[in-house]
Order: sequence, then C-alpha cells, then structure tokens
Amino acid sequence: MKRSQKLAYKREFEASKKDGKPFFPYAVAHDLIVATATLGVVIAFAVIFRVEIGEPVNPATTDFVPRPEWYFFFLFELLKIFEGEDALTPVIMATFIVPNLLMVLLIIWPFIDRGPERRIWRRPVSVVTAIVVIFMLAYLTEEGANSPGGAVAADELEIPGIENFPEAEAGFELYLLNGCASCHMINGVGAPGPGPDLSKEGEKGRTDEWQIGHLKNPPEFVPGSSMPAFTNFTDQQYQELAVFLNGLGTDFN
Amino acid sequence: MSTEATPQDQEDRTARAAKDIGPTGPITKATDMTLEYVDERTKVVPDVKWMMFRKIPKETSWFQTLGFTALVIFAMQAVTGIVLAMFYKPDPATAFNSIEVITDEVTWGWLVRGMHKWGASAMVIVVFLHMGRVFFFGSYKYPRELTWVTGALLLVLTMFMALTGYLLIWDQKAYWATVVAVNITASAPILGPYVADILRAGPEFGPNTLSRFYSLHMLVIPGAIATLIGIHLYLIARLGISEPPYSKRLMKARREEEDARRRAAREQLPHGRKPVPAPGTTPQREPVTADGGGSS
Ligand code: HEC
Ligand code: HEM
Repeated sequence: MKRSQKLAYKREFEASKKDGKPFFPYAVAHDLIVATATLGVVIAFAVIFRVEIGEPVNPATTDFVPRPEWYFFFLFELLKIFEGEDALTPVIMATFIVPNLLMVLLIIWPFIDRGPERRIWRRPVSVVTAIVVIFMLAYLTEEGANSPGGAVAADELEIPGIENFPEAEAGFELYLLNGCASCHMINGVGAPGPGPDLSKEGEKGRTDEWQIGHLKNPPEFVPGSSMPAFTNFTDQQYQELAVFLNGLGTDFN
Repeated sequence: MSTEATPQDQEDRTARAAKDIGPTGPITKATDMTLEYVDERTKVVPDVKWMMFRKIPKETSWFQTLGFTALVIFAMQAVTGIVLAMFYKPDPATAFNSIEVITDEVTWGWLVRGMHKWGASAMVIVVFLHMGRVFFFGSYKYPRELTWVTGALLLVLTMFMALTGYLLIWDQKAYWATVVAVNITASAPILGPYVADILRAGPEFGPNTLSRFYSLHMLVIPGAIATLIGIHLYLIARLGISEPPYSKRLMKARREEEDARRRAAREQLPHGRKPVPAPGTTPQREPVTADGGGSS
C-alpha cells in the first residue's frame, strides 16, 4: 500500500473515532447480548438433544464404517471427488494439496488482497471468490451429510452375486474383519479414503499373485503406497482375498 | 491514550480529591479507595480505564459481536472441559466407562457433557461466521493483517480441538473416524507418515494414542489457542475496531471527497465552470480519470 493511502486510512479512522462512543458500555452491551443468546442456544441443544452413549471401542472387530464430525464432511467428500483410475494422485490431491493450499491461502490472504478499498461492492473479485468458496463448503458438507457411507456397520455392505463364489465369500469376510473398510469403499459403503474405491477392482486386470504381493508389501507394487502391509494371513487366506478382490466388478456386483 | 500513570495523573488525582467537597456516597468512596490501592501497587488502573473507555466508531454493527461470542464459547468449553476432566479417565480400559458414568450417574453430568459437545459445534460455526464478517467488512486490510493471521491460526486450531476431542469418547464411531483421519494424514507425501506416527504415538493405534490425544486436547492446543487469543485481542485493542465499510459517516465522507474532486476537476477545465466548449475549440486537457486524485 502506498504511503498516501496509509495516511488516508489513519486520518479516516481518527475521524470515525472522533464522533465515536466509548467501548464500555456500548460495545460491551451488544457483545453480552449476543454471547448470552448463543450460550442459551447451546444449553438448549444440550437439554433437548441429549448426548448419547455409543458402543465401546473394539479394535478387533473393525466391521464398523466410520463417520467424522460434520465439520470434517467437506474433507471426506473431497476424497470422493478426486477419486480416479490412478489410486495415488487423487488421494494426494484431496488429502494434501487442496486442504493445505486452502489453509495457506486463508492465512496469507491479507498479503494477497492489499488494496485499501473496503466497500463490498467495490471489491467484486474477493467477494465473489468468498461466496463461491462458501457455497462449495456448504455443498460438500451437505453431500457428506447425505452420503450413504454414513454411520452404518460394514455388514450392511451387500455384494450381489457373491454367494456363488465360496472362496470370494471367505475373502469378503476377511475384508470386513480386518479394517479394510476404514480406508476403502465398496458399493458406497466404507470410508472414501485414503484408499481407492474397490467396487470395480476386478476390472483392473490384476493377477492373483499381484494382489497377494500387494497385500504383503504394498510399496513394492505401488510406489509410495501408504497402505499398511498385511503379513499375518495364511496362504489360504491370501488366496481368498485375491479372488474376492479380482472378482469385484467382474464376477459379482 | 496514555497508558502510563504520569506524575501529572497523580497530581490531578490529589487535586481532585482535595477539591471534591460534594457529598460522596459510601460506595463511590469505597470504589475510589480500592482503585487507588490497586493502582498504587499495580499501575494498571489507567490501562484498564483506557481499555474500557477508549472510543470506538459510532456505527458498529451487530456482526462485530461474533468475535466476543467465540471468546465466550471458548471460555465455556474450558469450564465444562475442566469439569469433565474431573471424572474422565484417559485409559483405553476405563475411558468409555467413565464417559458412561459422566452421562448417567454424575449430577448434571449429561448437561456438562452435552454443553461441551454442542459447544464444539457452536464454536466452529461462530468462529467461521466471525471470519466471514471480517472478510466482507474488509477488516483484514491495513493495518490489521496480523490480526487476521492470528485469527486464521485460531480457526485451524479450533478444528484440531474438534478432531482430538472426538477420540476421547472412545466409542466405535469416534475410534474409527479417528483411525481414518490419521490414515488420511499418513497418506500425505513427505511429512504425512511422520505426523501420523506422532499422532498415534507409534506405528499403530494403541493405548498411548489415547494419552497423546488427551494431552493434545487438554494442554497443547488449548494453551496455543489461549496464547493466540491474547495476541489477537491485544492487536484489536491497540488498533481499534474497524468501522463498517457501509457506515453513514464513511459514505458521507467518501461522497464529499468525490464531489470535491469533481469540483476541482471542473475548475481546471479551460472554460471554468462552463465545460461546454465554444464551437470549433477543443479542451486542452485530458479528462480527469477516477484515480487521478487518489483518496488523499
Ligand atoms: C490405512 C489405510 C488402508 C487399509 C487399512 C487398507 N488399505 Fe488398501 N489401499 C490403501 C491405499 C492408500 C491404497 C492406494 C495405494 C496402493 O494401491 O497401494 C490402497 C490400495 C488398495 C488396493 C488397490 C491396488 C490396485 O492398485 O489395484 C487394493 C486391492 C487394496 N488396497 C486392498 C486392501 C485390502 C484387502 C485391505 C484389508 C486387508 C486394505 N486394502 C486395507 C489404504 C489402505
Ligand atoms: C477462537 C477464535 C477467535 C476469537 C476468540 C476471536 C476474537 C475476536 C474479537 C473479540 C474481536 C473483536 C471484534 C469482533 O468481535 O468482531 C476480533 C476481531 C478480529 N478478528 Fe477474531 N477471533 C477469533 C477468530 C478469528 C479468525 C478465524 C479470523 C480470521 C481469519 C479473525 C480475524 C479477526 C480480525 C482481522 C479482527 C479485527 C476486526 C476489526 O478490527 O474490525 N479472528 N476477534
């Protein structure tokens, strides 16, 4: 900002204070009214919508599909938007690049928009940007609220046609019991990330050996993979999981 | 705007005390004496008086109460949080049970827990609305850039409070949601895996994870928030609260400025106040553009 503009601001602000009023009691009174009303609303909510008690944690049975608090819905939805063929890039976009970019932009905003103009209708670019961002956040939150991957247990996950493949059914059991659904989604049930949607995994044409190797040591098959290695299954179980995964989107579903 | 008690102040006060012969009620007298006592020992009274009675612009808006509301909700979260901490047991074996006890057995426990839970949502909403008003008023502009930066950090920390607090309930929903949140963190490149290890207190979710979230939620983040709020409020008091950009006074001043500029431009036309040129002649000067005069 130019020196003359800074001086103009100072002169203007001094003028606004000259015929101003004291902080106490005027501002304090307004503050107290709004803050008390808000506290009242919070207490009313606490009384009307009583807190509930859920089920105690059981890390062994992970057939539970998680759902974050509503203020993180937009991040969750972001994961779905960037879903694509390639598993890694979209996850990095949604978990890292977009949120961090937004956060940094938010923090340094005053150093980007430096003009002295404060009247709303004279700052069309920043005001329109803000409105677009607000609508996007509202939309993503709303989508998250309606998402089918809500607080449902993973055993509500249905895969039509799987009953004809006993080996795949056993693999499906393992999938539910080992927390895969807390990173993956099938037919809209499960977490939208960080792992890719597996509904059409079979269509990728992976071999069973590939799937087994990937489960044992993901980074060897997908460089940079952040999926944990699953090393404790028996050979039989690895085979069942592989058949289940490669059948998704082809043999059943 | 003096912030220090000068010898002058001291003299004024004694002079006033000596001259004051009107009837003084016992309450006024007691107040004066107390203030005098405190001021002699702390030198803080003039600062507080300045703080309370400093002038703010006349036409402040109701939207400018949201920051204070966020502050009050933070205070409520601190108080209800302290009460909850008196009964909560941060151990995977007992955490869930202690939440049950708070909800079902402790007197008013359900209310305190409910206020803390709904307060978390309210705080996110109010802080967001407060940020919106600061944005649309253009209040982040010179000289308040750093106030905005501390505020933006406060928003991020508020979200982290929400994230870390959710796990403490230790029920299935919270546990698995946090597992996913940490997994998502782990999938970020470069620092992701390390941050995830720090959050989990190791490569796996375990008993130490709960202690870690407990300490973040109870000590680290609230401490950071309290410090930043302190800086935020200091800056606001020092710089003064901004005037809404649509206030009548400001609009009038802007209008007068504009008029003056137009008048000056007209004076400079070759034909004085009659900018209609005689046939055949052209004005010698370029038309004056809007930015010609500047706002000075
Ligand atoms: C911590 C989160 C996490 C868990 C738990 C998890 N995965 Fe993954 N998974 C990922 C990520 C991230 C990727 C993408 C990178 C990759 O392909 O390795 C992935 C990829 C995959 C793929 C796609 C590989 C491809 O490119 O075709 C399959 C199949 C898969 N996971 C199966 C499983 C199974 C089965 C389980 C449970 C035994 C499981 N995952 C548990 C995070 C996870
Ligand atoms: C814990 C959260 C916060 C608290 C307790 C808080 C508190 C306050 C208070 C009490 C004020 C005085 C004026 C008012 O009430 O509007 C204020 C002003 C301000 N806040 Fe915040 N705030 C918080 C978060 C934020 C955020 C997220 C931002 C923006 C990113 C922000 C930016 C500002 C700015 C720039 C001002 C000065 C506005 C002016 O002078 O008109 N604050 N804040």
